[in-house]
Amino acid sequence: MSQDEKKPLKNNVKPLLKDELIELGSVWSYNLWNDPKRLAFVLARYKFAAEMGCKQRIILELGCSEGIGSPILGEFAKQYTGIDMDKEAIVSAKKLFGNPEINFIEDNFLGNRYGTFETVISLDVIEHIQPDHESLFFDTIIKNLGSDGIGIVGTPNLTSVPYASPGSQVGHVNMFSAERLKSTMGHYFHNVFIFGINDEIVHTGFAAMAHYLICVGCYKK
Amino acid sequence: MEIDEQSRWHLVKELMGNQRVLLGKQVTHGLKKSPAHILHYLSYYKFAAKMVGSNKRVLDVGCGEGLGTWILAKECGQVKGVDFAQEVINVGQTNWSSQSNISFECSDFLTLSAESWDAVVNFDVIEQISPENVQNFMTGIINNLAEHGITIVGTPNLNSQAYVSEISKLGHVNVYSPELLEEEMRRYFEHVFLFCANNEVIHAGFLPFAHYLIVIGCKKRKSLLDYYPPLNVPTSERKNT
Repeated sequence: MSQDEKKPLKNNVKPLLKDELIELGSVWSYNLWNDPKRLAFVLARYKFAAEMGCKQRIILELGCSEGIGSPILGEFAKQYTGIDMDKEAIVSAKKLFGNPEINFIEDNFLGNRYGTFETVISLDVIEHIQPDHESLFFDTIIKNLGSDGIGIVGTPNLTSVPYASPGSQVGHVNMFSAERLKSTMGHYFHNVFIFGINDEIVHTGFAAMAHYLICVGCYKK
Repeated sequence: MEIDEQSRWHLVKELMGNQRVLLGKQVTHGLKKSPAHILHYLSYYKFAAKMVGSNKRVLDVGCGEGLGTWILAKECGQVKGVDFAQEVINVGQTNWSSQSNISFECSDFLTLSAESWDAVVNFDVIEQISPENVQNFMTGIINNLAEHGITIVGTPNLNSQAYVSEISKLGHVNVYSPELLEEEMRRYFEHVFLFCANNEVIHAGFLPFAHYLIVIGCKKRKSLLDYYPPLNVPTSERKNT
């Protein structure tokens, strides 16, 4: 390609970018300041969840925080609803990512029903749920799902505890091994598939060495 | 007491016992001609084994010499391998005849009596089934599945066919694109999960660049009539619909 042909192309790119900037909320600003690679890991989890259970479906995310996963989930889904009890996070999510197909609700979702969804996703939430609320958490997933619904739950592996940051250790009160996550999901779904995630790589390798677990359940019991 | 390296290795060897595994013509040829292909093939089976889980009953359709079937047996529980070539069945039977959790049968899968399996898996089979027989093949799978059973199908991606050998091309009469494979499975299953395999890595990446496709079907449909498109149109003719 000659210089002359290149030039107009280059000039054409800039106008394509909208005059739009995003200022992240306090949670993701903190993450990006202190451990920026975490954004890659988290987006990888969302992308995998999106590929597994979001294509052209109406989806609910329980514990969406600042909605960082909503662009990926929303790209696949027909309609996205994110719930979180962190008021500040929801304000940020609405501002940054809200649109007619992507909406956010500030609420403590435990025990609540927001409609009939085709897929319910909850990443990095169950480890923060008190053990005595655990069954209520799963019941909440189930009561928001239609009969052909898919449930997707992701959480750090129990074996990752010694490597967790002090902040994580304070917040994590209910850690799961792969076996326990799979068997618990098995109480609610006939078919359950469990994957390991190390950094941004999703795999089916030796479960104890998986840093993170993501479990897909379908065929509601 | 100090023992030297050789004696220590001897202790290790003693623990291994004196078992033998026979590799049949197919696997031997593969291992010598394109060893990486054996790796890929085994990784598909490992993936299937992990998806099926433990304490399950699995039917492996088109099991070949049974090396992958043995992975399923070790990971999942009870496994039966079927293949229509007696020669390859003999290899599996020779190797694992002493094991109660694995069996082989030389049979045309479609004439196999229906049983209730927790999972039916088949790798490198569906691309060799002529499009007008796919419905029979899939119905055979459905009839062999327990109510809550899953099926796992692995087949080369249509886009990979530009790179395959002439021999492979001859056998491949029904190669699927990701979209058509998903659609095919959706006719029989409520839930369909599609994965890409590139070499030994199985992932959920951009489908056109998948070398190989692995699809999981769950919750078999009660009636095949409750889903579009018409069942009797061969896949080859549905491409542009």
